[in-house]
Amino acid sequence: MIVFKEVVAELIGMFVAERRLTIAVLIVVTMAGCLVDFTDLDPLVGGTVVLFGCLILLIASVCRSARAGTS
Amino acid sequence: MTWSIAAPAVMAAFLASLVEVVEAFTIVLAVATLRGWRSATLGTIAGLAVLAGIVLLLGPLLNRIPLHSLQLAIGILLLLFGMGWLRKASLRAAGIIPLHDEDAIFAAETAQLGQYRRRQQSNLDWVAGITALKAVLLEGLEVVFIVIAVGAGRGLLMPASLGALAAGALVLAVGAIIHRPLSRVPENILKFGVGVMLSAFGVFWTGEGLGVAWPGQDLALLLFAALFLAAGLLGSALARRISVEIAR
Repeated sequence: MIVFKEVVAELIGMFVAERRLTIAVLIVVTMAGCLVDFTDLDPLVGGTVVLFGCLILLIASVCRSARAGTS
Repeated sequence: MTWSIAAPAVMAAFLASLVEVVEAFTIVLAVATLRGWRSATLGTIAGLAVLAGIVLLLGPLLNRIPLHSLQLAIGILLLLFGMGWLRKASLRAAGIIPLHDEDAIFAAETAQLGQYRRRQQSNLDWVAGITALKAVLLEGLEVVFIVIAVGAGRGLLMPASLGALAAGALVLAVGAIIHRPLSRVPENILKFGVGVMLSAFGVFWTGEGLGVAWPGQDLALLLFAALFLAAGLLGSALARRISVEIAR
């Protein structure tokens, strides 16, 4: 049972390394999905939002952690 | 199959698996050093058997998921996983968090099992076996995810699996020769590189899942990888500067 719990915790930890970053990435992807599905914009705009959104989030998350001095 | 996408998939699977297998090997070696190879081998075989069971059980389900949904789901998971690695590697490169130390992990695992030996001699074989099983299962799950994630979207499961198997074979071969933790593997550089590749794949598959036709098709992966590499390095440099300013 303990091993099972650890496996589940590891699985969750694989994708939720940092909660704020995880939530922010999901918001960016959702926004891109809405842009593609509910507007007449080229889907490439949605892809560009995902790409640059994630790049900005990565830098912001690293800097935030550096300020906090933690992982 | 085009090499412009197969090569990054195989490379990502190989490098990511290299990191994971090194971590699993360290713990299995600690078990073997303290309790002999019987417990370590049995635990490793049990861990591999559970992994094989999971793959056999869930693998066929992948074919039933519509391609765009599969690409979107895998893309998002890859983004979360890859960016998590890249973020941590950037922080390690900046000195904000300590580097992963295989020698320290080996010593900690050996000490933990040693403490258990002093308390409960009779159950140690069992504990040692479970420790090896857990290490193989937990690190193996990450390998399985990476292989599926970089391979399933374009029918590259077999090449990606071969990349992972090659990494496993390499670590076992080197480990069998030197018989000590593989502490000289430049793990943070590998994690940085793998984080870059997985994040690039994540953007690529997420976009494909959303119906994006990327200009240059598969070659767009190279551009994404270059941008994530630049972002990781920039983040690391900024983090270093921030930590220096705070220290003043």
